[in-house]
Amino acid sequence: MKQITVAAMAAIAMLAASAGLAGCASESSSSSAASGTSSSASAAAASCSNSAIQSQLYAKGVLTVATDKPVYPPWFVNNKPTNGQGYESAVAYAVAAQLGFSKSQVTWAYEPFNSSYAPGPKKFDFDINEISYSAARAQVVTFSDSYYDVQQALVALKNSPIVTKHSQADLKTYVFGDQVGTTSLQFINSQIQPSQTPKVFETLNDVKQALQTKQIAALVTDTPTAEFITTEIPGSVVVAQFPSTGEHYGLLFAKGNQLVTCVNKALATLKANGTLAKLTAQYLKDFTSVPTIKP
Amino acid sequence: MLGDSSRRGVVLSTTSTVVVLAVLVGIFLLAPGSAQVRHTFFNPTDMWQSFVGDPKAGYYSVGEALWLNIRMFVAAEILILIFALIVAVIRQSTGPVLLPLRVAATVYVDVARGVPLILIIFALGYGLPALQLTVVSDQSAAVYGVVALVVSYSAYVAEVYRAGINSVHRSQVAAARSLGLTQGASMRYVILPQAIRNIIPPLLNDFISLQKDTAQVGLLGAIEANKAAEIYSSTVFNYSSYVVAAILFLALTIPLARFTDHLIRRDQARRLAGAGQLWAERARFPFPVPGARKRCGSKGCASRSARTRCSAGWTWMWPRTRSSA
Repeated sequence: MKQITVAAMAAIAMLAASAGLAGCASESSSSSAASGTSSSASAAAASCSNSAIQSQLYAKGVLTVATDKPVYPPWFVNNKPTNGQGYESAVAYAVAAQLGFSKSQVTWAYEPFNSSYAPGPKKFDFDINEISYSAARAQVVTFSDSYYDVQQALVALKNSPIVTKHSQADLKTYVFGDQVGTTSLQFINSQIQPSQTPKVFETLNDVKQALQTKQIAALVTDTPTAEFITTEIPGSVVVAQFPSTGEHYGLLFAKGNQLVTCVNKALATLKANGTLAKLTAQYLKDFTSVPTIKP
Repeated sequence: MLGDSSRRGVVLSTTSTVVVLAVLVGIFLLAPGSAQVRHTFFNPTDMWQSFVGDPKAGYYSVGEALWLNIRMFVAAEILILIFALIVAVIRQSTGPVLLPLRVAATVYVDVARGVPLILIIFALGYGLPALQLTVVSDQSAAVYGVVALVVSYSAYVAEVYRAGINSVHRSQVAAARSLGLTQGASMRYVILPQAIRNIIPPLLNDFISLQKDTAQVGLLGAIEANKAAEIYSSTVFNYSSYVVAAILFLALTIPLARFTDHLIRRDQARRLAGAGQLWAERARFPFPVPGARKRCGSKGCASRSARTRCSAGWTWMWPRTRSSA
């Protein structure tokens, strides 16, 4: 008899717990439904004033922008997203200004790249972390329009054979390296098609280490990052960059986040009034000196 | 009466198991984000795509990558068994001349056990190539990974060996030495055969853990199963590839885990039975059996070292399958 009571109590406790969860569930789903209807109302969507977008924000009154740790130049400076320096930090603050947020109304959240696309509610309004748009990715998250059009480039040590020998046939013979999660791997395998499997590292620092210890012949990354790496690794050069494949970086939003409409408007304004071009010139320099070669 | 209550116990345990499972599954299915979680972690299309891979789309086959884990695991396991035994025997040695070796072995075990595996992988995987030595610095990431696994796991396994050696009663050594065996011979013929038999379950336990830890070698850029899963997930933003990797690792470790259980049960049965004959019948490999002195002089003991073995009061038994072959 006693056993039965214990079992029954356990079952009741679990049911109560699940009921509690269900309670929370219905609450959150109703609130998200409410925000959905308010934003689908044309009046709210049409206006991108600061007060109109409040209901779509992660935290009221502030724009929560996420990025990884550590962050690298030229996208960020001194590993401090808050200083407004570096291309991505500057773009984030420029977007915020377009949406009517002052600099102090922007807060930064830490979001590792690998968890930025995890299911469940996001802890940010958008994530700015050199994330490339792809159709497959766009099924899981929502991307803003491009804030930077990417070209891939090769970084190698000066005395490495790849510096002089990089014809299309030659390129296939090298061991390449890149950082996990970047589109460079896809680029290597679909465009360069090397005979040896590329090496894929956790962080950019690991790739750089592998380049220095000659574990890889060259690393593949976007041109601005490539340029920056040459200032970090003595005796390294940007061998060449590849023609654009239409790849671009977009701000990452939770799937279906309505805020993206207003952010896209802000980006369009920043493009039209030359702000993005100015920031590109300021932080990402001019890469016309880097030769473009065929992969 | 007894039958009644045991039947009631079965009914109760079955019911409670079903209820608990149903509640858990119910919570999972009814949770507000359930559909999203199922899509992100258990999407059949993504699981299949990550299993077969498509390098041109930017990701590799998790299934193919597992082959690297298996090769690393087998290579590491063999090296660990040898290296750890050497370390354990050195630590157990008593000769005054061997003191420097003993100190070195002790320091090695302390350091290698105390430092997280991931740091050892890092240090060796990036450190050895940086030395720019021939051969040493020209290896693949998988080789450095195996070296790191051997360095880390040998320390644990050496301690398992040592525990096994210590578990052999001192009287065995005393008996062996009093019968004129050198220290080396008594270690080789009397102590180790008993010690190794005692430590097979804990040893296999370490190897189950080793199988999983081959995943950490991905840190060096080698594309093993976990890395392939990570690449897939970051390319298309879906975690189903990790589930595929998990299933593949389970397919490796569960058989080994069951085998370990089987060995433990067999060992318990053996100890409870306590009969030399039973031991011999169940053994998979030759091992000494006590109380078999009377067999000496028979055909079975006519080998080169039969005298030594018999004088230690033990005889070398082969399992049936081997002797009949």
